[in-house]
Amino acid sequence: MKKLLIIIVSAVTLFSSCKKDDESIFSKPPDERLNDALNAYQTQLAGATNGWKGLIYPKGGGIYTFYFKFNNSNRVQMLSSFDSASAVNIKESSYRLKAIQQPSLLFDTYSYLHVLADPNPNVNGGPVGAGLQSDFEYYFDSSSADTINLVGRFNGSKAVLVKATQAEAAAFTSGQLANGLLINKIQTYYKRLTIGSASVDFNFDPATRTIKWTDVNGNLLDSSRMTDYFLVLGGIGFTKPITVGNLRISQITNLSFSTSTQVIDATVNNAAATITEVMVPLKVDLNAPFRWWNYAAVSDDYWYSFNGFHANGVEDAFGVNKLVSSGNLPYFFLIYYPKYGTTNDLFAPVFLDEATNSLNVDYGSAPRIPTFTSDGRALFRELGEYGTYPTTGAAAASRQVLYNSAGFYLVQTSESSYDMVGARDGKSWISWYSSK
Amino acid sequence: MKIIKVAFFLFSLAILASSCKKEAAPGSVDNIPGLGGDSWVSGQIDKYILDTLTVPYNISVKYKWDQFEINNFLDKTLVPPKEEQIIPVMRAIKKVWINTYVAEGGDLFFKRISPKFMILVGSPIYIRGAIVEGFAEGGRKVVLSNINNFRIKGMPGYSVADNGVVLRMFHVIHHEYAHILDQSIKVPIDFSASSASSYTSDWLNISDRDALYDGFITPYAQSSKEEDWAEMVSLMLVNGKPWFDDLVNSINYTGTTANGTTAEKAKARLRQKEAVVINYFKQAWNINFYSLQLRTKAEINALLF
Repeated sequence: MKKLLIIIVSAVTLFSSCKKDDESIFSKPPDERLNDALNAYQTQLAGATNGWKGLIYPKGGGIYTFYFKFNNSNRVQMLSSFDSASAVNIKESSYRLKAIQQPSLLFDTYSYLHVLADPNPNVNGGPVGAGLQSDFEYYFDSSSADTINLVGRFNGSKAVLVKATQAEAAAFTSGQLANGLLINKIQTYYKRLTIGSASVDFNFDPATRTIKWTDVNGNLLDSSRMTDYFLVLGGIGFTKPITVGNLRISQITNLSFSTSTQVIDATVNNAAATITEVMVPLKVDLNAPFRWWNYAAVSDDYWYSFNGFHANGVEDAFGVNKLVSSGNLPYFFLIYYPKYGTTNDLFAPVFLDEATNSLNVDYGSAPRIPTFTSDGRALFRELGEYGTYPTTGAAAASRQVLYNSAGFYLVQTSESSYDMVGARDGKSWISWYSSK
Repeated sequence: MKIIKVAFFLFSLAILASSCKKEAAPGSVDNIPGLGGDSWVSGQIDKYILDTLTVPYNISVKYKWDQFEINNFLDKTLVPPKEEQIIPVMRAIKKVWINTYVAEGGDLFFKRISPKFMILVGSPIYIRGAIVEGFAEGGRKVVLSNINNFRIKGMPGYSVADNGVVLRMFHVIHHEYAHILDQSIKVPIDFSASSASSYTSDWLNISDRDALYDGFITPYAQSSKEEDWAEMVSLMLVNGKPWFDDLVNSINYTGTTANGTTAEKAKARLRQKEAVVINYFKQAWNINFYSLQLRTKAEINALLF
């Protein structure tokens, strides 16, 4: 009994040991570490006296260049490459660092960042209720002394902030971010980049932020010759470099536009370059006009265009989108219907009757079958009218452009779409699509 | 044996006493990030809100983004308001909603019964092809959207086409406030007595005209007696008495609607509801509704025309 007790007692004593050391593997409690992280980010953001250059990658596509300057009282100044105004006018708004699951950077009143995210299609041209699917609340993904990687909390879009140098800060504040948009001053469908003896024609689309270089046939069909562009200080950069002659080009910088000569001077790979208007492309697809006409003619189909003619830098230059039919139906699209009759085509605005879910043609113009010239143009001549074609307004202006005597050359942009470009000055064009 | 027992007992005590005290320090709890709400360096807008709304009426306005306040629409793409819009919007709200009620009902009445928390959203809330202009929760919180498109006379880019946005915003505020009044002192049952048989949850499929022909000011009013009440009060205030009279007089059809309502009955329903609104405001809150209506309409006209 005595032995047993002693054994029990010793056993209890033996195992009643105590481990006092339950130190956390971290040196501080989580709240303190979170505060430290937020403070460190605050110091890093506001401590960059020259500010930050940012690249924003909305989920809806495109890349936007930003300039940020944070201060210590929740204010941030911004520039954005969204348009020529936002690239030069510094706008101040509010930001805050907050711990929401991760340390996060929130831009909490409206700024240029929100322009990309705005669900209102009038703001950025994105889909209703979604915008360009960009973000304005980000969590910190990773960071080093001069680079911060951010991920959007709502759409998951990416953003990268890189500390700006003094020279870059000066360039941003003097408005050089807008220089790349000078390309829009050249209003022809194609623009020609010439570096020494090498030149290439390209099409520049500010709406989708893409640039397309012509292929060997003079069309825009080669996907390896299309790339997204973004604005850099003094010019534009490409996400995918382009080869011109023996040069590999990833940036065109130092853009300056001369109003008198209508020429942009620029620098490419440290060499002087020019960007000029193109009336006749370097390479015209001679067969494209007939191919375009015949594509719809053989399948008894028509070509349609929502925005009508683009002219002198203005999309839907004549305002066809505002047309209404005699019965007050809204405009839907313009059509060109090859072989509508045995000897004529049809060119007309089409109206949408939502009540019966049908399309109406109020009036139309009847072109002859076009003449296809040996230098690759299509010439349109009017044979007659269907109904009474208006003599004023958007429909009349569109008709007048169609029948201009110089005609059009055609650029194929996909299997079932062509851009029809005015041969007179290259500054008016219409994009035709087929549903087949 | 006894000694052993005693020794054993003492020993156990000793072991018990030697048990281990673990210092599980909770760390500093007075510095938890985010505890106590968001904070930022206060600016001109914060000062305006504090001076004009928070100090006199205990109303706070959240204009800095926090999507969790818009919890019905967490999955929607929304953006915060533009800073330059906030003061003009709040100034207009003060004129059209606060000042008018204070003038007619008194300071104390308004302080006692008003939503205390306003959330501002810059963009419209797009939902199934429609736009939500705002909503309220529990008589305390009012969410106003489309702030960035709010333009009144004197603001850059204003055109008559913007009036719709402004009117719809005041409609939302007055609608929600009517709910709060109803929830504070119940609206008498005779308000809905003649319309009771026509309320339907299927209001989304009813056209403006069909609702009117059944004696309802809007299709939404036909959804329930509470909404009927809020729609009646808010639209009568925002659009004024001549508008309401024209609306009632425009009911001129022969025969009956699909619900068996005649034009006479529809008119009578609207007039009866109007009469209850006027009585209720007088008896419950000692407010002359017609006077409030004139005042509200005059303030709105001053902003827009």
